[in-house]
Amino acid sequence: MSQIIQIKNITKEFKVLNRREGLKGSLKDLFSRDYKIVRAVDNISMNVEQGEIVGYLGSNGAGKSTTIKMMTGVLEPTSGEILIDGNIPYKNRAKNAQEIGVVFGQRSQLWWALPLIESFKILKDIYQISDSDYDSIMSLYQSLVDIEPLLHKPVRQMSLGQRTLSDILAAFLHNPKIVFLDEPTIGLDVSMKSKIRTLIHALNKEKNTTVILTTHDMGDVDALCRRIVIIDKGKMLYDNDIAHLKGFFGSYRTLKIRTDGDISEHSEQIRKKFPEFKVSADEEWISVLVDEEKEKVIDVLSTLQKTHKIRDMQLEEISTEDVVKKIYEEGVS
Amino acid sequence: MNLKKYLTLTRAGIIESLQFRLGTLVMIIGNVLYLTVIYFLWDSIYKSSGTDIVNGMTFTDTLIYLVLATALFNFMEMYTVWEIGRNIQSGKIVLDLLKPMEYRSYLFWSYSGSFVTQFFFTFLPTFIIVGLVTHGAIPMGINLLFFVISVIMAIIINYSIDFLVGTICLYTESIWGINIMKQVIVLLLSGATVPIAFFPEPFKTIVNYLPFQSIYNAPLTILLNGNPEMQDVLTILGTQLIWCVVMTVLSKLFWKASLRQITVNGG
Amino acid sequence: MKSKGFRFYFRIYCKILAQDLKSKMSYRADFIISTIGMIFTNIAGFVSFWILFRNFPSINGWTYYEMLFLYGFSLISLTPVQCFFDNNWSLRIYVYSGDFIKYCFRPINLFFYYQSEVFDIKGLGQLAFGIGTLIYAWVKIGLAFTPLMILKMIVFLLTASLIMISMQNAAAATCFWIQNSFYVLDLVFRFKDYAKYPITIFNRLFRFVFTFVMPIAFIAYYPSLVILRPDEIPILSWISPLVGCLFFFLSYKFWMYGAMKYSGTGS
Repeated sequence: MSQIIQIKNITKEFKVLNRREGLKGSLKDLFSRDYKIVRAVDNISMNVEQGEIVGYLGSNGAGKSTTIKMMTGVLEPTSGEILIDGNIPYKNRAKNAQEIGVVFGQRSQLWWALPLIESFKILKDIYQISDSDYDSIMSLYQSLVDIEPLLHKPVRQMSLGQRTLSDILAAFLHNPKIVFLDEPTIGLDVSMKSKIRTLIHALNKEKNTTVILTTHDMGDVDALCRRIVIIDKGKMLYDNDIAHLKGFFGSYRTLKIRTDGDISEHSEQIRKKFPEFKVSADEEWISVLVDEEKEKVIDVLSTLQKTHKIRDMQLEEISTEDVVKKIYEEGVS
Repeated sequence: MNLKKYLTLTRAGIIESLQFRLGTLVMIIGNVLYLTVIYFLWDSIYKSSGTDIVNGMTFTDTLIYLVLATALFNFMEMYTVWEIGRNIQSGKIVLDLLKPMEYRSYLFWSYSGSFVTQFFFTFLPTFIIVGLVTHGAIPMGINLLFFVISVIMAIIINYSIDFLVGTICLYTESIWGINIMKQVIVLLLSGATVPIAFFPEPFKTIVNYLPFQSIYNAPLTILLNGNPEMQDVLTILGTQLIWCVVMTVLSKLFWKASLRQITVNGG
Repeated sequence: MKSKGFRFYFRIYCKILAQDLKSKMSYRADFIISTIGMIFTNIAGFVSFWILFRNFPSINGWTYYEMLFLYGFSLISLTPVQCFFDNNWSLRIYVYSGDFIKYCFRPINLFFYYQSEVFDIKGLGQLAFGIGTLIYAWVKIGLAFTPLMILKMIVFLLTASLIMISMQNAAAATCFWIQNSFYVLDLVFRFKDYAKYPITIFNRLFRFVFTFVMPIAFIAYYPSLVILRPDEIPILSWISPLVGCLFFFLSYKFWMYGAMKYSGTGS
C-alpha cells in the first residue's frame, strides 16, 4: 500500500474560556463561564505516499501542531477520517506509535540524565527492535554522522544542535514508516542546520521513510521538500509541488540595477517605461519585478541600457519564502 | 521609595491567582476538611485526658491556636525557596537581577498579591468559622491590633528565613532537600504543629531563644490573651522586632556575599 | 509486534531504574542533602508525636505503643508511593508547559512510561525508619512473631500502599482539568499525615468520608486492626485488600482518561 497517510475532511474544534481583563474581570471569571468554540483545523484532506518528504507550512497558530497531534493519535478529530498506515491513530495509539517517530524541536524526548547510548538501549527494548536491526541502524548512523562523541554524553550536557541531532536519530531508531519533525532546525546555527538537513535527507533515501516536516525555515523546505502543504487559520491553502508553486505566481524574477545620478528620479523614469512591473528603490538599488511571461529580463535590461548608464546589476530568483509570504498575505487566487 | 511599582506587582499577583479558579475552590474545601480533622483529633485527645486544661491551654485555646497556625501557614507560605531554586536552575535569575529593583524586594512583592487573596479566601473565613465554632472564644479587643502588628513582623521574619535558605540554592542543586529541611524545622520549632506550651522544659527554653517561635507562637499567643499585660505583649513584640532586624540583615548580607559566587548554567 | 506482558514491562522498568540510579549517583551532593532532609522529616514527625503523647498518655483508648504501631505502619505503606510514583508531582508542570505530549508517542502504556521515569530513592530512608518504629512497637506491645502474622502484615501493608498510590494518582490527574492541581496534591499529601490516627476519633459523617470518599482510613487504621485488635476486626478490614485493588484500578483509569482527554496547550 503506497498511501501511507490518508486524511479526509478532518476538523478539530476546541472549547476555550473567554477571559475578562483586569482585576474586576478576574473576579467575574471566578463565578461565570463564557466559552467560545475555536476551529483549529477546518476540513483538511490530503494523502501522502510512502517515502515522500512533505513540508507542512503555516504561520504560528495556523493549526499545524493540531494536525500533527491528530496524525500521531494524541488528539481525536472532531469530525473526518484519518488513516495512518491503515490504522486509525487515536483508536490504537500504541500500535500507531510503533510505526511513527516524532521530534519536537525544543522538547527532547530522550532521558535527560542518561548518556545517549543508554537512551537508545531503552528505546530498543520499548520498540522491541531486534539485535540485528539495531546493529544495522547503528552502523548506518555511524556512516552518516560522527556519533561516537555523542553516545556517552548525557543529554542534559549537549548543545541544542547535538540534542536535536540525537532526537532525530532516536526517532528513526525503530525504522518507523513515518517521522514527524516539528521545527527541527529552530535556533540552530547555519552549519548545524545543514548537517541536520543532510542527515534527514540521507535517512529518507536510505530507509524510504515518509517525513512530515513542519518549519518556518524556507531553507529546510528548499533543501528537503518537493511537495509543500500550506495551511492558514485551520484551512488548507495549497498542496502541490514547490516548482508548481513558483509557476503558480507567474515566472517572476527581480532585476536590480545601480545607476549614476539621482535614484528616485531614475526609478520614476523606469516606472513610466514599464508600467506593468513593480518598481522600487532603496539607497543603492532600483528593483524591477519582471514577469517573464510578459517580457524577458534580458530585453528589459537592454531597453534600460539605452537610456541609463548602468554601473552594476543583480538578478534575483523569487524565493520560496517570498511566495509563501505572498500566500499568507494574499491567499491563492 | 516609589510604592506604585511594588503595588503593580501585587495587583498582577492577585489577577494571576484568581485565574486558577478551581484551584481556589479546592483550596477552600481543603482547608475546611483539614480544620475538621484538627477539631476531631484534639477533641478526642482532650476527652481522653480527663482534664479540661493541659499546660495552661483549654481545648478551645488549643483548637484556635492550631487552626489559626495552619491558616497563618497558608497565608505566609510563599514557596520562596522553590522560586529562587527554580530561577537559578533555569537561569531566569539573570533576567530578574536586571530588573530595576532589588531581587529580594522583587520576589517579595511579586508574591504579595497572594497575601491579599489568601487573606480573603483562607484566613478570614477560617477566622470567622473558628469564632463561630468556639462561640466567640477569640478575644476581641486591643489584642487584635497587637496581633496584626505581630503578624506583619512574622511575615518579615518568615520571608527572611526563606530567602536566607533560598540563597543556599546558589551553592547546591538540591532544592527539594533544602526546602524540606527548612519547612520541617520551621513548622516544628515555631509551634505550628504542636503548641510550644506542650513542649518539655529544656526543649521549650531552647526554642524560646530561636527565631522560629516568633513566626507562629508569638502572634497566636498575643491573639489568645484578651486581657494582656502590657509588659508581656511588649516583650513578645520586642523579641519579634529584634528577630526582624537580625534576620533581615543576615539574609541581605548572605545574599550579597553569595551573589559573587553566582554561576548560572548557560543555555 | 510481540505481545507486551508483565515481563516486557518489568524488564524495561529495571533497565530505566538502573540507569536512573546511576545518574542520581552523579549528583552526590543532592543525594546526600535530600536524604538528610528525608531523615529530618521523619525525626520531626516522631518528635511531634512524642511531645503529644508526653501530655496525653492515650487517645480514645489507644495506647502510646499502639499509636506508634499505626505511625510505623503508615510510614511503611507510604514508601511505594514515594519511591515509584513521585513523578506525579511533576505532572502538572508537564501538562501546563505542554511537555507532557512527549510521553504520548511511545508504543507502551502511557501511565507506566510516565511513572517509570522517576525512582525516588529517598523513600528508602523512610522505609527503614518505618520498619524500625513498627518493630519497636511490635515488641513493646508484646505481639507474637508468627509466619501468619507476618504474612498478614505484608498483605495489609501492600493494601495500604495501593490506597495511598490511588489517592495520589487521582489527585495528580486532576491537573488534566484544573490548571493548578498543586493544591489538590498538596491536600492529599497533608491528609496522609492524619492516616496514622484511629478513625474512631471522628464523628459518623467523617468516618464515612474517610472510609469511602477520601479513603485514608485504609492506609493504617483498618489494616492495623487485623494485627492490633484481632477480636474486633470489622468487615472493612478484611475487604481492604479488595478495596485497595479497586481504588488503584479506578485511579489508573481516571489518570488515563485525563491523559487521553488532554489536548496539549498547542505549540
